[in-house]
Amino acid sequence: MITTSAPQEEVRTGHRDRSGPPADRQTSQDIRQRGKWPRFVLILLMTAVVLVPIVAVFGLSLTPSLGSNAEGLTFENFGNIFTQTAVLTWLGNSLVITAFTVVVAVAVAAPAGYVLSRSRNRLVSGYSLILFVVQSLPVVTSAIPLFILFANLGLVDSLFGVVIIYVGATMSVAIWMMAAYYDSIPIALEEAAWIDGASIFGSFTRIVLRNSLPGILSTAIFSFLLAWNDYLIAVVFLRSDPNYTLPVGLESFFQQNATNWGLVMAVAVVMMLPPIILFAFLNKHFSIGGIGGSLSSR
Amino acid sequence: MTSTSIAESVKRARRGVGPAGAGRKPGPAPAARARKRFTPRTWTLIAFAAPSLILLLLLNVYPLVYALIQALHDGTLLETGPFVGLKNFGDVLAQPSFWSETSFTVVFTVVGVFGSWLVGLALSLLLRTHIPAGGLFKVLLLLPWIVPTVVSATSWNWLVATPQSPLPVIAEHLGFGNVLFLADPMLAQVVVCLFKVWISFPFMMMMMSSALASVDTNVYEAAKVDGATGWQSFRLITLPLIARTTFVSWILMTIFCVNDFPTIFLLTGGGPAHATTSLVLLAYLTVFQNFQTGPGVAIAFLMTFVLVVISVVLYRQIRKVNVE
Repeated sequence: MITTSAPQEEVRTGHRDRSGPPADRQTSQDIRQRGKWPRFVLILLMTAVVLVPIVAVFGLSLTPSLGSNAEGLTFENFGNIFTQTAVLTWLGNSLVITAFTVVVAVAVAAPAGYVLSRSRNRLVSGYSLILFVVQSLPVVTSAIPLFILFANLGLVDSLFGVVIIYVGATMSVAIWMMAAYYDSIPIALEEAAWIDGASIFGSFTRIVLRNSLPGILSTAIFSFLLAWNDYLIAVVFLRSDPNYTLPVGLESFFQQNATNWGLVMAVAVVMMLPPIILFAFLNKHFSIGGIGGSLSSR
Repeated sequence: MTSTSIAESVKRARRGVGPAGAGRKPGPAPAARARKRFTPRTWTLIAFAAPSLILLLLLNVYPLVYALIQALHDGTLLETGPFVGLKNFGDVLAQPSFWSETSFTVVFTVVGVFGSWLVGLALSLLLRTHIPAGGLFKVLLLLPWIVPTVVSATSWNWLVATPQSPLPVIAEHLGFGNVLFLADPMLAQVVVCLFKVWISFPFMMMMMSSALASVDTNVYEAAKVDGATGWQSFRLITLPLIARTTFVSWILMTIFCVNDFPTIFLLTGGGPAHATTSLVLLAYLTVFQNFQTGPGVAIAFLMTFVLVVISVVLYRQIRKVNVE
């Protein structure tokens, strides 16, 4: 555990002080102890700078807004936005859209990722390449044709239509994330089940899925962030106030009340709290680094 | 049963079939191979991939084909209009603004990719060492990536956009006069690029942390014994070992930056005087504000084409790195 820390310093001392292995250890241990606090201060400063815009949102939301006679910190902005704006409707729309996107994206990606993880042939490689290319298409290109298609199907200005597009947008990365997780589950477990007569479907649901909860959580969190944060698709496809999601609602509210920072930031807080709370509880389960290996190994 | 399957595995191993082949039910080998495509296993896997394939065709392939058709016509949002061949592409390429916006897109992408990579790598190296409250910092540093762009753009607007904002006030106190960050073309470009780095570095930090976590630290001990300096062991050990993830993250971030609409649109709207209009914004504004579907789609299509070529070439490159 401790040997993992400060390899660079350690190497440097090793170079200077070659009196022998035990002394060497001693010195690098000391250096590590001494180097710990400067690094701590450095990280603390960087984090403080990085967090300024986020702390500002919280701070402004608690500051009395224009025309208010409250003093000091106050929650009245929150009271005002809930009574004066449609923020609760937007919040509801965002929650519904995000929940459906997460469920459908995981349901589509979980079996598709299994195909990518467990079989290697030319068809699967091609499939993987197509997913990769699709991932790199700008949303603007497909937004226009999809808008026309959805207009004919009556899916414009509908939450359902937006969910379909979000599932498509999150799919490639979700499939890679699931595949990356499956790669870490030894195939021996499934082989044992097949020898006992289980089908692929049976071994998938009873062995693979049951052991993939962390992978599923990661994928779900990723889809959550995409659906919750998206602005472009929502602004193109949702045309009326009662169907706005929070990003579109906040932006339109900001355009109308640009200088009334207290109210605007109160809406912003409502919007950023769910993902922050989600991460506060689940950050240990979120890992996106796996797609590096997943992408490059097939 | 067991002995046949073992014999099968050995045979398959000799043929060089990977673990995937092991899924096939043991049976008379030649017949099974002849009907290989129609085993229950194959059908199950096809069924597994089917929903994603259908969505792929509906949401990605179909719009792409349709977009190509639109790019060849002089139409509006709802009508395809008369066929004009490659005229839209010619018109777009002849616009001087197209090229200035292309160069801004390149600058934005290069700064976004390497800026966020450098910050992310530095932070992940720092966080790899033992630091008090390291876990808390890891979560706090992810916030710029977690917080919705609409929220952070609003907040950055508050920080820099108006004369009463904190940064212009600080600049005035430092004697720079009243700087309006988003009204000056050059400064607005700098702010937009910084904003992109601020949003993206946590992604790079996560990718680099997971790559660093898989590096065996005993290697450093060995390098130390051989007398390597800190910089040498970083350049000769750490960098090569994280090269694969680094390439993947560069590719993904390039795609994210070129395609990035909200970051720029919500902070500056492409202004002042189109200084911060990237190609995606240009395509969006051409279609949804000027209602010129043909040229707008042509811009998006040119961009898509270049991106797809770049991604496919780089994708093959990663696979080569992987083989080495």
